Amino acid sequence: MKSFTTRQGRQSTALAIFLLVQTVAAVFFVGDSVGDLLSDGTGAHSMFEVLVAVALVLGIGFGLIGLRRTLITMRAQEQTIAAASGDLARVIDDQFGAWGLTPAERDVGFLALKGLDVAEIAKLREAAAGTVRAQLTHIYAKAGVSGRAQFAAFFVEDLLAAPLPAATQAGRLASIETRR
Amino acid sequence: MGRTPNVGPPVALWDPLVRISHWGIAIVVIANALITRGGSALHVGIGWAALALLILRIGWGLVGVPEARFSAFPPHPRAALAHLRSLLTGTAPPHYRSHNPAGAIMVYSLWGTLALVIATGLMMTTASPLKLAEQEAIVASGDWSTLVTAHQPTEDTDNTYRKLVGGVHNVAANLMLLLAVLHVGGVIVESRAMRRNLVAPMIAGHRGRRE
Repeated sequence: MKSFTTRQGRQSTALAIFLLVQTVAAVFFVGDSVGDLLSDGTGAHSMFEVLVAVALVLGIGFGLIGLRRTLITMRAQEQTIAAASGDLARVIDDQFGAWGLTPAERDVGFLALKGLDVAEIAKLREAAAGTVRAQLTHIYAKAGVSGRAQFAAFFVEDLLAAPLPAATQAGRLASIETRR
Repeated sequence: MGRTPNVGPPVALWDPLVRISHWGIAIVVIANALITRGGSALHVGIGWAALALLILRIGWGLVGVPEARFSAFPPHPRAALAHLRSLLTGTAPPHYRSHNPAGAIMVYSLWGTLALVIATGLMMTTASPLKLAEQEAIVASGDWSTLVTAHQPTEDTDNTYRKLVGGVHNVAANLMLLLAVLHVGGVIVESRAMRRNLVAPMIAGHRGRRE
């Protein structure tokens, strides 16, 4: 999610730089054309230059509006992501409560969901690896999942609204049935 | 305008166009005031680039994101004075979403002075930077005849006009440097008083610094 927003940030920076280059080009072109116009007078050539200048200026104007739209969309997405991640944390907390996890097990469960392995969790909690392993086993038992992958999938599954491809659907459904 | 749209949480990161035009103008001013030779193709070219930066920023002030628009930091001298007074007395001034009132006056002063420098610069310019570069190349190759055509004998009125415009150009350029120094000083004082880094949002933002 973070890489997504930073990529958009980089795109908007690139767009801003491009707009600057375009404006510099427009100023030089218009300045040069005005110089020609003053010395040579009007003609077919200068009419063409006016057309190009108008196109350049319009391009800059639309570019600015496009940049604003991109930036505002980006901000709205950042807010949505922040709200969604807050919601997900609450959903997880509620589910841990429903499974009847102890406070220690809740902590370990959260760390496991964040992707930390047994050794890292043990180090963070200043506990023995064996203790953490036992707590994880208890968590999986209470949640009724086979292991770490299924434990993580329990929360991710609801976020994936897209239907499964037909070929794998039957097998997946069977595995979900056995889990519940 | 009714309500005051500029009070609110300050920006954590200025948008890319504000940042690019800010540092672009800083570079352009330093280059043309201190480094390049007046009247040279480079000096004139950089001046035209400054015009482009100013036009782009003004366009962004009309159609840009909310905190970059002119409506977010209207010129309001009395509010600016009140803001400076609160800095002196040590009472914490409110946070502004965009520039604070004193900063807004500084921004408009800098832009106004820059516009004056550019306008007088254009009035003195005899040819586009591209043509000036061509002339310089011809002179460098040993043919000095272009110098004669470029500086034809001028009448007295024309001469005083050029002197006047040149004088305004120099005075405005020095004023620009003075304002830039004041601007940097103001940012330092403001950062201390408001207890927040005002420079980071203009570079990469607080988020970029923390990671």
